[in-house]
Amino acid sequence: MVLEHELKTYEQKLPELLADEGKFVLIHESEVAGCFGTYEDAIRAGYTRYGLKTFLVKQIHAVEQVQYFMRPISPCPT
Amino acid sequence: MPHVTLQISPFGPIVDVLLGVSGARAAALQAAAQPIPPAVQIRGLIDTGASGTCIDPASLKSLGLSPTGVVPILTPSTGNLPHFCNQFDVSLTLLHADHRLHFDTVAVMESNLAAQGIHALIGRDILGKCLFVYDGQAGTFTLAF
Repeated sequence: MVLEHELKTYEQKLPELLADEGKFVLIHESEVAGCFGTYEDAIRAGYTRYGLKTFLVKQIHAVEQVQYFMRPISPCPT
Repeated sequence: MPHVTLQISPFGPIVDVLLGVSGARAAALQAAAQPIPPAVQIRGLIDTGASGTCIDPASLKSLGLSPTGVVPILTPSTGNLPHFCNQFDVSLTLLHADHRLHFDTVAVMESNLAAQGIHALIGRDILGKCLFVYDGQAGTFTLAF
C-alpha cells in the first residue's frame, strides 16, 4: 500500500490529533506537518512542502468516517 | 444563479466532466520542471446515493497521480465490512456550452466504473455545492450553481 507508513503514523498520533478533530492533517512518513481547516489548504501545503513526494491528507475523526455508495461499485485495491 | 438543463439519458443524469490534476499538483509539477498532463473529458453520472465522487482508474491513470488519501467505503458489493480505497486530489470541471463549474481541488475515490458505461460518479460532495433538480416527467435535470 502506497501510504502505509503515513497511515501508521496517523494511527499512532491519533490520540493527540483529536484535539483538532474535524480538521485535515498532513503527514509525510513519520512527520506530522500540521492541521488545516480545509482539504484544499492541506493539499496545497503538502505539495508546497513535499513537492511530488508521497504525503497523506486525512480528516481527523475519533471514529473512521465511512463513505457510502448505493450503487454496486467495485473499489480498487489500495 | 447560472444553471444548465440537460436531457436524462438512458444511463441517468449524465454530465460531461473535464478531469485534471489539482491546481496545487500542477504548480508542483511546474516547479519540478515536469509536464502537466492534459485534462481528460469523461462521462459522469450524478448519483445522490454516493456520499463522495468516484473516478474510474483508467481516467486517473492518464493523469499520472499518486494517492494522497485512503478512505473506507461501503457498497452493496462490499457487504458489511468496509473496503479501503485510494483517494486522489484532482480538479473537476462540469462542461456545458453556456456555463462551466470548476472545482480546483476535489478528493475523489478510485473505483471500477467503465463496465457501467460511465467514468465517474458525481456524489454529494459536489452536489453539496449545487442545486440539483430531477424532473422525471419532463425527462430533464437541472444543475444550478
